Amino acid sequence: MSRYTDTQLDALRELANIGSGTASTALSSMLGRSVDISVPSAFVMPMAEAVGTIGDPESEATGVVLGIVGEMPGSVLLLFTPKDAELMCGLLGVEAGSEFGESALMEIGNIVGASYINALGQMIGMELEPTPPAAATDMLGTIVETVLAERAGAGDVALLLDSDLVVEGEDCSVSFLLVPDQGGVDQMLERLGV
Amino acid sequence: MGELAASAVAGDVLVSLGLGSCIGLALLDRRAGVAGLAHVVLPASGGNAAPGSWKFADLAVPELIDRVVKFGARRPMLEAVLVGGASMFSVSKSSLEVGQRNEAAVRELLRAARINVIATETGGSRGRTIRVYVGSHKVTVREAGGVEKVLVAGATRLAA
Repeated sequence: MSRYTDTQLDALRELANIGSGTASTALSSMLGRSVDISVPSAFVMPMAEAVGTIGDPESEATGVVLGIVGEMPGSVLLLFTPKDAELMCGLLGVEAGSEFGESALMEIGNIVGASYINALGQMIGMELEPTPPAAATDMLGTIVETVLAERAGAGDVALLLDSDLVVEGEDCSVSFLLVPDQGGVDQMLERLGV
Repeated sequence: MGELAASAVAGDVLVSLGLGSCIGLALLDRRAGVAGLAHVVLPASGGNAAPGSWKFADLAVPELIDRVVKFGARRPMLEAVLVGGASMFSVSKSSLEVGQRNEAAVRELLRAARINVIATETGGSRGRTIRVYVGSHKVTVREAGGVEKVLVAGATRLAA
């Protein structure tokens, strides 16, 4: 059912890989720890299935979303489980769940997300700019669904590029989703020549 | 997302998990014991959506009415319950609009179809899960980290 070939999905995964590599460097200098990245996965699937693929829709999560404006509109979403949020805030010396906690996560999202978007823009030779971040702590399904709803106006298929940033020495990670507008995927592939 | 379902089987539970800006629209014929649920993502298709694309309010509402009627519901008896339409990311203006526009679009379509809205849990900034218990016609809503709240009380089966 996927309308993309394996080669195209590989190319998209590679994009996500380089993007999250740059993002991990940003996170690493922010936390003063080294940060590893997982091999990204690329999912192309009906929107109806996308939410469930990411995790238990009713589990709690904090999401930080950045819009992408420019030649390829889209959204970047960073997801923290409550445990990850707590550890991450701990590394920055603020209390999770407090006003400062959410603000700290939003700042992590801002720096990490913006470097991801910049890396992406450079690779495909497009002018991409991040919009200021917004954060919400809610059900995982709600957060993912809201981001998809904003982006998937023209199509029923969602493309998700998912990678994890893992902080060394801590059992702590952030997952990362890139949700381009429908036309955006084709634009990216065209730039990559696949 | 963008799915819809209907059932006349007592004991079935129709669920939409984690509704944010989307609307969970339940249609009930409490006497016939038929219920349907649609997960509406966006207010309007603009007339160029693929057939079978039920995420748009203007396509999903008539389709949901057709489906419950097929399962034996009678149109004049239909009642509606709306859940969702929240503005999730407080900073993001566009998602606020989507939630409100979704609710407005669904309400307008229901009004045009002369279907009464008997309960709602919409707006705000929290995600919600709606559950529709077919047969008992109970409808519940749960917010993130909250308990399940009864929106429409279940009844023992009425004699048809």
